[in-house]
Amino acid sequence: MTLELSRLRKAYGQFDFGPVDLTVEDDVLAVLGPSGSGKTTLLPLIAGITSPDSGSIQLDGRELVGLPLEDRHVGMVFQEGALFPHMTARKNIEYAATASERVDELATLLELEDVLDRKPPTLSGGERQRVALARTLATDPDVLLLDEPLSSLDAPIRKRLRDELHSLFESLESPILYVTHDQRTATSLGDRIALVRDGDLEQVGSPSTVLTRPTSRFVARFTGNENLFEGTVTDRTEDGATVLLGDIQFETTASDIHTSTVTVCIHPSRVEIEAPYVADGDRTANTVTETVARWLNEGSEYRIDIEIEAGSITLTANVRPPTFERLALENGSEVQVLIPKESIHLIPERE
Amino acid sequence: MISLFLSVPAEDILARMNHPTVIDSATTSLLSASISTVVATLFGLPLAYWLARTDGAVTKIVLVVVVLPLVLPPTVVGIVLLTVFGPSSPLGEAAIAAGFPLTRSLAGVVLAQTFVASPFVVVTAKAAFESVDQTLEYASRSLGKSRWTTARHVTLPLAGPGILAGVTLAFARAIGEFGATMMLAYYPRTMPVQIWVAFIELGLDNAYPVAILLVLIASTALVVLNTVASNPWE
Repeated sequence: MTLELSRLRKAYGQFDFGPVDLTVEDDVLAVLGPSGSGKTTLLPLIAGITSPDSGSIQLDGRELVGLPLEDRHVGMVFQEGALFPHMTARKNIEYAATASERVDELATLLELEDVLDRKPPTLSGGERQRVALARTLATDPDVLLLDEPLSSLDAPIRKRLRDELHSLFESLESPILYVTHDQRTATSLGDRIALVRDGDLEQVGSPSTVLTRPTSRFVARFTGNENLFEGTVTDRTEDGATVLLGDIQFETTASDIHTSTVTVCIHPSRVEIEAPYVADGDRTANTVTETVARWLNEGSEYRIDIEIEAGSITLTANVRPPTFERLALENGSEVQVLIPKESIHLIPERE
Repeated sequence: MISLFLSVPAEDILARMNHPTVIDSATTSLLSASISTVVATLFGLPLAYWLARTDGAVTKIVLVVVVLPLVLPPTVVGIVLLTVFGPSSPLGEAAIAAGFPLTRSLAGVVLAQTFVASPFVVVTAKAAFESVDQTLEYASRSLGKSRWTTARHVTLPLAGPGILAGVTLAFARAIGEFGATMMLAYYPRTMPVQIWVAFIELGLDNAYPVAILLVLIASTALVVLNTVASNPWE
């Protein structure tokens, strides 16, 4: 199945969505964006709840625009599940199922056997979403749309259901669009990520591309990249560009940079920290020796802020606890900062 | 209420209740109020659904028109109905020619009752439909179910209690309707008309039995209506 959106446009008063061009084959596209970005406009357009002002939505060449939603074969899992409150979980799934065996099959798949006879108001958030998913899957939809199904769940359940969704998505052979505002959910579930900003697709690419090679400051910031600095390109060679950040020169592998002013973008997870006396690090990496300004325990990792250039630049590094403990880091610790060439990404200045 | 029931000795009431005019008026009232309620519901529900799910100037105007009978004095309603359906109106003439007069007939009674009772169905059902999250309807239709299937299995059951309240109110209003009925269809006499006639011609004592009967029939009907149409998820 191929879902193809072309020149899709929808205006809501002052807000303009699109024009959007997008093709989703049998993979998972995570639609990521802050609230108000217009990411939630996309799914109702595909499902047929709202109609676009212009443009087309084609599913294997079949035009969906103009078709009522019941004729689209597009399954949608709504944010809060949208289960029918007067029907038991089983009735909810049966209502959608084409064959009754399918109900038990899906109940097994999504571990719902124990809750089938309960009504939605008595189910937990996670159970509700699983029933909603089962109900949608019971119709064998050609396209699966999910509108932030995990957003209202507590962290442990969210993580568990995310893992389950991951394996479920692998087994489905249809285009899947998953709207979320959570970067972790997007990177872990999406084969590709589409970043939405002000009603437009800002960048579409694989999770690692979006994370390490953002095309704009917005994408970088929204995917958790805090290291964004203005720099000047001083030299371009076959192998990359040299960029000046304050008074320090950094070697990069960036090519195709045609402006001299750039945004230097270094993902915090790509910044390595070593003790100052260790000399056998990566010799090709950019190396500076500076002091730790502050650190923060963020649970699975430590966030280290290092002031460079007498405090004019604050570089953030994410460090795993073992490294943090081995280096016995504290405020004022002198450290060696190593930034591999390929970890420095340059975003050309726009306009 | 109690004073009404204690006003006349019980055997007196029972004796009078067996009077043919009382039985006739009771039959007319029950029959006409039931028909009116059904008609008001059949036309009122789709209208209420449309009003609940549409926004705009047209909806607002329609809503005003729908609610109008609630604020009109019964005599004005009678005048309006006579103007449109009276024997001298084109519609009334045509109906008489077809052997189906719209005044001084059961049809006239139903017409008057439906006119005043419909707003209750529409206004209450509209609120009931509005309380049903539209996302549930979208969910149902995205599962491949038609609008009609969705309405039957999702919207109506969820709006049920509210709709039932509206239907009950409409029935109560219909069976008690007096003013417009007097003007449009004095015959066949409904109970409120019969009460009035008994009062004018024979005095208060003679009006009591019919009044008591009306109260009994109306309350029984309301209890039955509320029990029969059970609430599926209670």
